[in-house]
Amino acid sequence: MYSLGLPEKRCVHKNKIIMQTVIPTTSKGIASLLRADFTTQWRNRRAVILIVLVPVIILISWKGLIDKIGGAVVLANSITIGLTAIGLMGYANSIARDRDKGIFQRLRVAPVSSWSIMCSRLIVQLAMILIVTLAVFIVGFYYDQISLSPAGYIVAVLTAVAGGALYLSIGQVIVGLIKNPETVNSTCRLVYFVFIMVGMFGEFSNQEQLTKIVRWSPYGVVRHMVASSLHPNTWNMDDSTSLLLAFGYTIVFASIGIKNFKWSSK
Amino acid sequence: MEINKSAPILTVKGLDVSYGNFSAVKQVSFEVKAGEIFGLLGPNGAGKTSSLSAVEGLIIPREGDITVAGFNTKDKPLHARANMGVQLQSTNFQPELHVGEIIRLFAGIHAIEMPREKLSAILDNIKLGDAQNKKFGELSGGQQQRVSLAIAMLHNPQLVILDEPTTGLDPQSRRQLWERMEELRTQGHAILLTTHSMEEAEAVCDRIAIIDHGRVIATDTPQALMDKHKGDAEVIAASRKGKITLEDVFIGLTGKTVRS
Repeated sequence: MYSLGLPEKRCVHKNKIIMQTVIPTTSKGIASLLRADFTTQWRNRRAVILIVLVPVIILISWKGLIDKIGGAVVLANSITIGLTAIGLMGYANSIARDRDKGIFQRLRVAPVSSWSIMCSRLIVQLAMILIVTLAVFIVGFYYDQISLSPAGYIVAVLTAVAGGALYLSIGQVIVGLIKNPETVNSTCRLVYFVFIMVGMFGEFSNQEQLTKIVRWSPYGVVRHMVASSLHPNTWNMDDSTSLLLAFGYTIVFASIGIKNFKWSSK
Repeated sequence: MEINKSAPILTVKGLDVSYGNFSAVKQVSFEVKAGEIFGLLGPNGAGKTSSLSAVEGLIIPREGDITVAGFNTKDKPLHARANMGVQLQSTNFQPELHVGEIIRLFAGIHAIEMPREKLSAILDNIKLGDAQNKKFGELSGGQQQRVSLAIAMLHNPQLVILDEPTTGLDPQSRRQLWERMEELRTQGHAILLTTHSMEEAEAVCDRIAIIDHGRVIATDTPQALMDKHKGDAEVIAASRKGKITLEDVFIGLTGKTVRS
Protein backbone atom coordinates (compact mmCIF):
# COMPACT_ATOMS: atom_id res chain seq x y z
CA MET A 1 0.00 0.00 0.00
CA TYR A 2 2.87 2.40 0.77
CA SER A 3 5.23 1.18 -1.90
CA LEU A 4 3.33 3.21 -4.47
CA GLY A 5 5.46 4.08 -7.43
CA LEU A 6 8.64 2.75 -5.96
CA PRO A 7 9.27 -0.51 -7.79
CA GLU A 8 12.52 0.94 -9.09
CA LYS A 9 14.07 0.46 -5.66
CA ARG A 10 12.82 -2.99 -4.85
CA CYS A 11 12.66 -5.92 -7.24
CA VAL A 12 12.63 -9.69 -6.90
CA HIS A 13 15.46 -11.76 -8.30
CA LYS A 14 15.66 -15.55 -7.80
CA ASN A 15 13.07 -15.31 -4.99
CA LYS A 16 15.18 -12.76 -3.12
CA ILE A 17 14.25 -9.14 -2.69
CA ILE A 18 16.96 -6.93 -4.15
CA MET A 19 17.33 -3.46 -2.63
CA GLN A 20 19.29 -0.56 -3.98
CA THR A 21 20.33 2.35 -1.85
CA VAL A 22 19.56 5.60 -3.59
CA ILE A 23 21.49 8.60 -2.28
CA PRO A 24 20.29 11.84 -3.83
CA THR A 25 22.91 14.16 -5.25
CA THR A 26 23.72 17.20 -3.13
CA SER A 27 22.34 19.51 -5.82
CA LYS A 28 19.00 17.65 -5.88
CA GLY A 29 18.76 17.74 -2.10
CA ILE A 30 19.54 21.45 -1.95
CA ALA A 31 17.14 22.17 -4.83
CA SER A 32 14.29 20.51 -2.91
CA LEU A 33 15.20 22.34 0.29
CA LEU A 34 15.44 25.64 -1.58
CA ARG A 35 12.02 25.19 -3.15
CA ALA A 36 10.52 24.59 0.30
CA ASP A 37 12.45 27.41 1.98
CA PHE A 38 11.58 29.95 -0.72
CA THR A 39 7.92 28.89 -0.55
CA THR A 40 8.02 29.34 3.22
CA GLN A 41 9.58 32.79 2.79
CA TRP A 42 6.97 33.72 0.16
CA ARG A 43 4.14 32.67 2.48
CA ASN A 44 5.68 34.91 5.14
CA ARG A 45 5.19 37.92 2.88
CA ARG A 46 4.16 40.20 5.73
CA ALA A 47 7.51 39.71 7.47
CA VAL A 48 9.35 40.17 4.16
CA ILE A 49 7.46 43.40 3.44
CA LEU A 50 8.29 44.73 6.91
CA ILE A 51 11.99 43.97 6.41
CA VAL A 52 11.95 45.84 3.10
CA LEU A 53 9.66 48.62 4.31
CA VAL A 54 11.75 49.84 7.27
CA PRO A 55 14.86 50.82 5.21
CA VAL A 56 12.62 52.31 2.52
CA ILE A 57 10.78 54.45 5.09
CA ILE A 58 14.11 55.62 6.52
CA LEU A 59 15.30 56.46 3.03
CA ILE A 60 12.16 58.49 2.30
CA SER A 61 12.13 60.25 5.67
CA TRP A 62 15.81 61.18 5.40
CA LYS A 63 15.36 62.92 2.07
CA GLY A 64 16.01 66.26 3.74
CA LEU A 65 19.39 65.05 5.03
CA ILE A 66 20.79 64.20 1.61
CA ASP A 67 22.24 67.68 1.10
CA LYS A 68 23.71 67.68 4.60
CA ILE A 69 25.29 64.20 4.94
CA GLY A 70 25.26 63.01 1.36
CA GLY A 71 23.16 60.54 -0.62
CA ALA A 72 25.68 57.74 -0.13
CA VAL A 73 25.40 57.91 3.67
CA VAL A 74 21.60 57.94 3.50
CA LEU A 75 21.55 54.94 1.14
CA ALA A 76 24.16 53.10 3.22
CA ASN A 77 22.22 53.68 6.44
CA SER A 78 19.03 52.39 4.90
CA ILE A 79 20.74 49.30 3.49
CA THR A 80 22.48 48.61 6.80
CA ILE A 81 19.19 48.80 8.70
CA GLY A 82 17.67 46.35 6.19
CA LEU A 83 20.62 43.97 6.56
CA THR A 84 20.35 44.11 10.34
CA ALA A 85 16.65 43.22 10.13
CA ILE A 86 17.40 40.24 7.86
CA GLY A 87 20.07 38.81 10.15
CA LEU A 88 18.33 39.46 13.43
CA MET A 89 14.60 39.51 12.79
CA GLY A 90 14.39 37.16 9.81
CA TYR A 91 17.14 34.54 9.99
CA ALA A 92 17.59 34.13 13.74
CA ASN A 93 13.87 33.95 14.49
CA SER A 94 13.10 31.47 11.72
CA ILE A 95 15.96 29.20 12.80
CA ALA A 96 14.86 29.37 16.45
CA ARG A 97 11.24 28.59 15.53
CA ASP A 98 12.06 25.67 13.23
CA ARG A 99 14.49 24.21 15.73
CA ASP A 100 11.89 24.40 18.47
CA LYS A 101 9.24 22.74 16.27
CA GLY A 102 11.58 19.86 15.42
CA ILE A 103 11.62 20.73 11.71
CA PHE A 104 15.41 20.42 11.51
CA GLN A 105 15.39 17.05 13.27
CA ARG A 106 12.86 15.73 10.75
CA LEU A 107 15.10 16.87 7.90
CA ARG A 108 18.24 15.52 9.55
CA VAL A 109 16.89 11.95 9.64
CA ALA A 110 16.63 12.10 5.83
CA PRO A 111 19.69 11.47 3.63
CA VAL A 112 20.65 15.12 3.42
CA SER A 113 23.68 16.65 5.07
CA SER A 114 23.26 19.20 7.84
CA TRP A 115 25.26 21.77 5.88
CA SER A 116 22.82 21.43 2.96
CA ILE A 117 19.94 22.35 5.29
CA MET A 118 21.80 25.46 6.49
CA CYS A 119 23.07 26.31 3.01
CA SER A 120 19.49 26.44 1.72
CA ARG A 121 18.47 28.74 4.59
CA LEU A 122 21.42 31.05 3.89
CA ILE A 123 20.66 31.22 0.15
CA VAL A 124 17.14 32.44 0.99
CA GLN A 125 18.67 35.13 3.22
CA LEU A 126 21.07 36.07 0.43
CA ALA A 127 18.07 36.61 -1.82
CA MET A 128 16.55 38.82 0.88
CA ILE A 129 19.78 40.85 1.05
CA LEU A 130 19.58 41.42 -2.70
CA ILE A 131 15.88 42.37 -2.53
CA VAL A 132 16.45 44.91 0.26
CA THR A 133 19.50 46.41 -1.48
CA LEU A 134 17.71 46.69 -4.83
CA ALA A 135 14.58 48.15 -3.16
CA VAL A 136 16.73 50.85 -1.53
CA PHE A 137 18.50 51.59 -4.82
CA ILE A 138 15.20 51.86 -6.70
CA VAL A 139 13.49 54.10 -4.13
CA GLY A 140 16.69 56.14 -3.78
CA PHE A 141 16.82 56.67 -7.51
CA TYR A 142 13.16 57.53 -8.12
CA TYR A 143 12.26 59.32 -4.88
CA ASP A 144 15.53 60.86 -3.67
CA GLN A 145 17.13 61.17 -7.14
CA ILE A 146 20.30 59.43 -5.89
CA SER A 147 22.03 57.96 -8.90
CA LEU A 148 25.29 56.02 -8.91
CA SER A 149 27.69 54.71 -11.51
CA PRO A 150 27.13 51.10 -12.65
CA ALA A 151 30.35 50.16 -10.82
CA GLY A 152 28.95 51.82 -7.69
CA TYR A 153 25.80 49.70 -7.82
CA ILE A 154 27.76 46.49 -8.39
CA VAL A 155 30.33 47.10 -5.63
CA ALA A 156 27.58 48.23 -3.25
CA VAL A 157 25.68 44.96 -3.82
CA LEU A 158 28.86 43.02 -3.05
CA THR A 159 29.56 44.95 0.15
CA ALA A 160 25.88 44.58 1.12
CA VAL A 161 26.31 40.81 0.83
CA ALA A 162 29.44 41.01 3.00
CA GLY A 163 27.57 43.17 5.52
CA GLY A 164 24.56 40.85 5.40
CA ALA A 165 26.87 37.94 6.22
CA LEU A 166 28.04 39.81 9.31
CA TYR A 167 24.48 40.30 10.60
CA LEU A 168 23.58 36.69 9.76
CA SER A 169 26.56 35.62 11.88
CA ILE A 170 25.27 37.80 14.74
CA GLY A 171 21.89 36.05 14.33
CA GLN A 172 23.78 32.74 14.42
CA VAL A 173 25.44 33.70 17.72
CA ILE A 174 22.05 34.46 19.23
CA VAL A 175 20.49 31.12 18.15
CA GLY A 176 23.72 29.38 19.11
CA LEU A 177 23.73 30.70 22.65
CA ILE A 178 19.97 30.84 23.30
CA LYS A 179 17.64 27.87 22.79
CA ASN A 180 14.25 29.28 23.73
CA PRO A 181 12.61 30.84 20.63
CA GLU A 182 10.85 33.55 22.63
CA THR A 183 14.11 34.57 24.29
CA VAL A 184 15.77 34.56 20.87
CA ASN A 185 13.00 36.82 19.57
CA SER A 186 13.25 39.32 22.42
CA THR A 187 17.06 39.34 22.29
CA CYS A 188 16.98 39.97 18.54
CA ARG A 189 14.50 42.85 19.00
CA LEU A 190 16.69 44.36 21.69
CA VAL A 191 19.88 44.09 19.61
CA TYR A 192 18.03 45.44 16.56
CA PHE A 193 16.77 48.42 18.58
CA VAL A 194 20.27 49.11 19.93
CA PHE A 195 21.71 48.90 16.40
CA ILE A 196 19.13 51.35 15.09
CA MET A 197 19.49 53.85 17.92
CA VAL A 198 23.23 53.73 18.52
CA GLY A 199 24.13 52.99 14.92
CA MET A 200 22.02 55.66 13.30
CA PHE A 201 22.46 58.44 15.80
CA GLY A 202 25.62 57.50 17.72
CA GLU A 203 27.95 58.32 14.86
CA PHE A 204 26.63 61.84 14.68
CA SER A 205 26.95 62.47 18.42
CA ASN A 206 29.32 65.07 19.85
CA GLN A 207 31.09 62.59 22.09
CA GLU A 208 34.28 61.50 20.34
CA GLN A 209 34.61 58.22 22.27
CA LEU A 210 31.05 57.14 21.38
CA THR A 211 31.55 58.13 17.76
CA LYS A 212 34.68 55.96 17.56
CA ILE A 213 32.99 52.95 19.16
CA VAL A 214 30.05 53.23 16.79
CA ARG A 215 32.31 53.75 13.78
CA TRP A 216 34.14 50.45 14.39
CA SER A 217 31.12 48.53 15.68
CA PRO A 218 29.45 45.88 13.46
CA TYR A 219 26.92 48.55 12.49
CA GLY A 220 29.52 51.22 11.75
CA VAL A 221 31.86 49.10 9.63
CA VAL A 222 29.01 47.86 7.42
CA ARG A 223 27.46 51.30 7.03
CA HIS A 224 30.88 52.77 6.26
CA MET A 225 31.94 50.18 3.69
CA VAL A 226 28.53 50.22 1.98
CA ALA A 227 28.66 54.03 1.80
CA SER A 228 32.18 53.98 0.36
CA SER A 229 31.34 51.25 -2.12
CA LEU A 230 28.66 53.48 -3.65
CA HIS A 231 31.53 55.57 -5.00
CA PRO A 232 34.21 52.93 -5.60
CA ASN A 233 36.70 55.42 -7.08
CA THR A 234 37.05 57.05 -3.63
CA TRP A 235 37.68 53.70 -1.84
CA ASN A 236 40.65 54.13 0.56
CA MET A 237 42.60 52.34 3.28
CA ASP A 238 40.01 53.19 5.90
CA ASP A 239 37.35 51.46 3.81
CA SER A 240 39.54 48.39 3.33
CA THR A 241 40.01 48.25 7.11
CA SER A 242 36.21 48.35 7.48
CA LEU A 243 35.85 45.49 5.00
CA LEU A 244 38.53 43.42 6.77
CA LEU A 245 36.97 44.12 10.13
CA ALA A 246 33.56 43.06 8.79
CA PHE A 247 35.11 39.76 7.66
CA GLY A 248 36.79 39.40 11.05
CA TYR A 249 33.53 40.02 12.92
CA THR A 250 31.76 37.52 10.65
CA ILE A 251 34.34 34.80 11.24
CA VAL A 252 34.34 35.31 15.02
CA PHE A 253 30.54 35.47 15.35
CA ALA A 254 29.94 32.59 12.93
CA SER A 255 32.49 30.43 14.76
CA ILE A 256 30.87 31.08 18.14
CA GLY A 257 27.37 30.64 16.68
CA ILE A 258 28.13 27.41 14.83
CA LYS A 259 30.17 25.91 17.70
CA ASN A 260 27.37 26.45 20.20
CA PHE A 261 24.47 25.68 17.87
CA LYS A 262 22.22 22.76 18.78
CA TRP A 263 19.81 21.32 16.22
CA SER A 264 17.22 20.64 18.87
CA SER A 265 15.96 22.99 21.56
CA LYS A 266 14.98 20.05 23.80
CA MET B 1 21.80 -5.54 -1.67
CA GLU B 2 19.87 -8.73 -1.05
CA ILE B 3 17.40 -9.12 1.75
CA ASN B 4 17.35 -12.32 3.65
CA LYS B 5 14.18 -12.38 5.75
CA SER B 6 16.00 -13.77 8.76
CA ALA B 7 18.88 -11.30 8.46
CA PRO B 8 18.77 -8.26 10.72
CA ILE B 9 18.03 -4.95 9.02
CA LEU B 10 19.03 -3.02 12.13
CA THR B 11 21.83 -4.13 14.41
CA VAL B 12 22.70 -2.19 17.54
CA LYS B 13 25.76 -3.47 19.41
CA GLY B 14 27.13 -2.19 22.71
CA LEU B 15 25.55 1.25 22.38
CA ASP B 16 26.63 3.87 24.93
CA VAL B 17 25.18 7.37 24.90
CA SER B 18 26.30 10.04 27.35
CA TYR B 19 25.34 13.64 28.00
CA GLY B 20 28.29 15.12 29.82
CA ASN B 21 28.85 12.91 32.85
CA PHE B 22 25.37 11.39 32.65
CA SER B 23 25.27 8.00 30.98
CA ALA B 24 21.83 7.69 29.32
CA VAL B 25 22.37 4.41 27.46
CA LYS B 26 24.71 1.66 28.64
CA GLN B 27 25.76 -1.25 26.46
CA VAL B 28 22.41 -1.57 24.68
CA SER B 29 22.28 -4.25 22.00
CA PHE B 30 19.39 -5.49 19.89
CA GLU B 31 18.46 -6.47 16.35
CA VAL B 32 15.40 -5.93 14.18
CA LYS B 33 14.84 -8.38 11.36
CA ALA B 34 13.03 -7.94 8.05
CA GLY B 35 9.29 -8.49 8.46
CA GLU B 36 9.45 -7.91 12.19
CA ILE B 37 7.89 -5.31 14.48
CA PHE B 38 10.27 -4.73 17.36
CA GLY B 39 9.08 -2.69 20.32
CA LEU B 40 11.41 -0.66 22.49
CA LEU B 41 9.64 -0.07 25.79
CA GLY B 42 10.68 1.77 28.89
CA PRO B 43 9.58 4.37 31.42
CA ASN B 44 10.33 8.06 30.86
CA GLY B 45 14.06 8.75 30.91
CA ALA B 46 14.93 5.06 30.53
CA GLY B 47 17.03 5.66 27.42
CA LYS B 48 14.55 4.88 24.61
CA THR B 49 14.73 8.24 22.89
CA SER B 50 18.52 8.39 23.24
CA SER B 51 18.86 4.92 21.71
CA LEU B 52 16.49 5.87 18.91
CA SER B 53 18.25 9.19 18.30
CA ALA B 54 21.55 7.34 17.98
CA VAL B 55 20.01 4.96 15.41
CA GLU B 56 18.54 7.92 13.51
CA GLY B 57 21.92 9.65 13.51
CA LEU B 58 20.68 12.64 15.52
CA ILE B 59 23.24 12.08 18.27
CA ILE B 60 26.69 10.56 18.17
CA PRO B 61 27.05 7.62 20.55
CA ARG B 62 30.09 7.45 22.79
CA GLU B 63 30.55 3.80 21.94
CA GLY B 64 28.93 1.02 19.99
CA ASP B 65 28.05 0.08 16.45
CA ILE B 66 24.80 0.66 14.60
CA THR B 67 24.20 -0.93 11.22
CA VAL B 68 21.19 -0.21 9.03
CA ALA B 69 20.69 -2.46 6.00
CA GLY B 70 24.38 -3.29 6.14
CA PHE B 71 25.57 0.32 6.41
CA ASN B 72 27.36 1.45 9.52
CA THR B 73 25.84 4.73 10.68
CA LYS B 74 29.29 6.16 11.51
CA ASP B 75 30.97 5.29 8.23
CA LYS B 76 28.02 5.69 5.84
CA PRO B 77 25.48 7.93 7.58
CA LEU B 78 23.66 9.00 4.42
CA HIS B 79 23.41 5.42 3.16
CA ALA B 80 22.08 4.31 6.53
CA ARG B 81 19.54 7.14 6.57
CA ALA B 82 18.51 6.42 2.98
CA ASN B 83 17.46 2.97 4.18
CA MET B 84 15.35 4.19 7.07
CA GLY B 85 12.02 5.94 7.21
CA VAL B 86 11.42 7.86 10.40
CA GLN B 87 8.29 9.12 12.05
CA LEU B 88 9.41 11.30 14.92
CA GLN B 89 7.48 11.74 18.15
CA SER B 90 6.44 15.28 17.26
CA THR B 91 5.82 15.28 13.54
CA ASN B 92 6.52 18.82 12.47
CA PHE B 93 7.00 20.31 9.10
CA GLN B 94 7.18 23.95 8.04
CA PRO B 95 3.71 25.24 8.96
CA GLU B 96 3.61 27.47 5.87
CA LEU B 97 3.88 24.50 3.49
CA HIS B 98 0.96 22.56 2.08
CA VAL B 99 0.79 18.80 2.46
CA GLY B 100 1.61 18.29 -1.23
CA GLU B 101 4.64 20.58 -0.95
CA ILE B 102 5.92 18.72 2.12
CA ILE B 103 5.64 15.40 0.29
CA ARG B 104 7.45 16.89 -2.71
CA LEU B 105 10.21 18.21 -0.42
CA PHE B 106 10.92 14.80 1.07
CA ALA B 107 10.54 13.06 -2.28
CA GLY B 108 13.20 15.43 -3.65
CA ILE B 109 15.51 14.76 -0.73
CA HIS B 110 15.18 11.03 -1.45
CA ALA B 111 15.69 11.58 -5.20
CA ILE B 112 12.18 10.36 -6.02
CA GLU B 113 10.30 11.83 -8.96
CA MET B 114 6.93 13.06 -7.80
CA PRO B 115 4.64 13.90 -10.72
CA ARG B 116 1.15 15.15 -9.94
CA GLU B 117 -0.50 11.74 -10.51
CA LYS B 118 1.85 9.99 -8.13
CA LEU B 119 1.29 12.60 -5.44
CA SER B 120 -2.48 12.26 -5.85
CA ALA B 121 -2.18 8.47 -5.64
CA ILE B 122 -0.20 8.70 -2.39
CA LEU B 123 -2.75 11.07 -0.86
CA ASP B 124 -5.69 8.98 -2.10
CA ASN B 125 -4.00 5.97 -0.60
CA ILE B 126 -4.05 7.52 2.86
CA LYS B 127 -7.59 8.84 2.29
CA LEU B 128 -6.44 12.44 2.11
CA GLY B 129 -7.04 13.05 -1.56
CA ASP B 130 -8.42 16.52 -0.87
CA ALA B 131 -5.64 17.57 1.52
CA GLN B 132 -2.96 18.36 -1.05
CA ASN B 133 -3.41 22.12 -0.64
CA LYS B 134 -4.08 22.09 3.07
CA LYS B 135 -1.45 23.12 5.54
CA PHE B 136 -0.13 20.31 7.75
CA GLY B 137 -1.34 22.12 10.89
CA GLU B 138 -4.91 22.14 9.54
CA LEU B 139 -5.09 18.32 9.62
CA SER B 140 -6.37 16.30 12.58
CA GLY B 141 -3.92 14.30 14.69
CA GLY B 142 -4.78 11.06 12.89
CA GLN B 143 -4.46 12.70 9.47
CA GLN B 144 -1.09 14.18 10.44
CA GLN B 145 0.14 10.75 11.49
CA ARG B 146 -1.00 9.29 8.16
CA VAL B 147 0.83 11.98 6.21
CA SER B 148 3.88 11.59 8.38
CA LEU B 149 3.94 7.82 7.88
CA ALA B 150 3.39 8.22 4.13
CA ILE B 151 6.42 10.56 4.04
CA ALA B 152 8.48 8.11 6.08
CA MET B 153 7.57 5.40 3.53
CA LEU B 154 8.09 7.48 0.38
CA HIS B 155 11.42 5.83 -0.43
CA ASN B 156 10.29 2.36 0.57
CA PRO B 157 12.88 2.02 3.36
CA GLN B 158 13.98 -1.30 4.76
CA LEU B 159 13.83 0.02 8.31
CA VAL B 160 10.86 2.01 9.60
CA ILE B 161 11.24 3.83 12.91
CA LEU B 162 8.05 4.88 14.64
CA ASP B 163 8.52 6.93 17.78
CA GLU B 164 5.31 6.79 19.83
CA PRO B 165 3.17 7.05 16.70
CA THR B 166 -0.21 6.56 18.35
CA THR B 167 0.17 9.10 21.15
CA GLY B 168 -2.91 11.32 21.21
CA LEU B 169 -4.82 9.32 18.60
CA ASP B 170 -8.41 8.16 19.03
CA PRO B 171 -9.03 4.38 19.08
CA GLN B 172 -10.11 4.32 15.40
CA SER B 173 -6.97 6.10 14.20
CA ARG B 174 -4.82 3.94 16.44
CA ARG B 175 -6.31 0.73 15.05
CA GLN B 176 -5.85 2.04 11.53
CA LEU B 177 -2.17 2.71 12.26
CA TRP B 178 -1.72 -0.77 13.71
CA GLU B 179 -3.17 -2.23 10.52
CA ARG B 180 -0.71 -0.16 8.47
CA MET B 181 2.19 -1.38 10.59
CA GLU B 182 1.07 -4.95 10.02
CA GLU B 183 0.87 -4.32 6.27
CA LEU B 184 4.42 -2.97 6.31
CA ARG B 185 5.56 -6.04 8.21
CA THR B 186 3.91 -8.26 5.59
CA GLN B 187 5.76 -6.32 2.88
CA GLY B 188 9.04 -7.22 4.59
CA HIS B 189 9.92 -3.95 6.29
CA ALA B 190 11.64 -4.04 9.66
CA ILE B 191 9.82 -1.82 12.13
CA LEU B 192 11.29 -0.35 15.29
CA LEU B 193 8.51 1.01 17.47
CA THR B 194 8.59 2.87 20.74
CA THR B 195 5.42 3.18 22.73
CA HIS B 196 4.14 3.73 26.24
CA SER B 197 1.07 1.64 25.44
CA MET B 198 1.55 -1.94 26.57
CA GLU B 199 -1.71 -2.80 24.80
CA GLU B 200 -0.13 -1.60 21.56
CA ALA B 201 3.10 -3.50 22.18
CA GLU B 202 1.17 -6.66 22.93
CA ALA B 203 -1.07 -6.21 19.90
CA VAL B 204 1.48 -5.51 17.19
CA CYS B 205 5.03 -6.31 18.33
CA ASP B 206 6.68 -9.59 17.44
CA ARG B 207 9.43 -8.98 19.97
CA ILE B 208 10.04 -6.32 22.55
CA ALA B 209 12.98 -5.03 24.56
CA ILE B 210 12.35 -3.41 27.92
CA ILE B 211 14.91 -0.75 28.67
CA ASP B 212 15.42 0.85 32.08
CA HIS B 213 18.15 3.07 33.51
CA GLY B 214 19.88 2.90 30.13
CA ARG B 215 20.10 -0.88 29.97
CA VAL B 216 18.04 -3.54 28.21
CA ILE B 217 16.63 -5.64 31.04
CA ALA B 218 14.52 -8.07 28.98
CA THR B 219 14.09 -9.03 25.33
CA ASP B 220 11.61 -11.55 24.00
CA THR B 221 8.17 -11.96 22.47
CA PRO B 222 5.37 -10.38 24.53
CA GLN B 223 3.90 -13.80 25.30
CA ALA B 224 7.28 -15.30 26.29
CA LEU B 225 7.94 -12.34 28.61
CA MET B 226 4.56 -12.82 30.27
CA ASP B 227 5.14 -16.56 30.62
CA LYS B 228 8.64 -16.06 31.97
CA HIS B 229 7.76 -13.44 34.58
CA LYS B 230 4.21 -14.43 35.59
CA GLY B 231 5.52 -15.95 38.80
CA ASP B 232 7.67 -12.96 39.85
CA ALA B 233 6.47 -11.43 43.11
CA GLU B 234 6.74 -7.88 41.69
CA VAL B 235 4.70 -8.85 38.64
CA ILE B 236 1.98 -10.50 40.71
CA ALA B 237 1.91 -7.45 42.97
CA ALA B 238 1.50 -5.23 39.92
CA SER B 239 -1.37 -7.30 38.54
CA ARG B 240 -4.75 -5.58 38.85
CA LYS B 241 -7.19 -8.03 37.32
CA GLY B 242 -5.84 -11.40 38.33
CA LYS B 243 -4.61 -12.14 34.79
CA ILE B 244 -0.97 -11.20 34.10
CA THR B 245 -0.64 -8.67 31.30
CA LEU B 246 2.40 -7.22 29.56
CA GLU B 247 1.86 -4.05 31.56
CA ASP B 248 2.12 -6.04 34.79
CA VAL B 249 5.40 -7.52 33.60
CA PHE B 250 6.63 -4.06 32.60
CA ILE B 251 5.70 -2.57 35.99
CA GLY B 252 7.16 -5.59 37.76
CA LEU B 253 10.47 -5.23 35.94
CA THR B 254 10.81 -1.45 35.97
CA GLY B 255 9.11 -0.65 39.30
CA LYS B 256 6.07 1.38 40.31
CA THR B 257 7.91 4.65 40.85
CA VAL B 258 6.76 7.41 38.51
CA ARG B 259 9.68 8.76 36.47
CA SER B 260 9.98 12.41 35.65
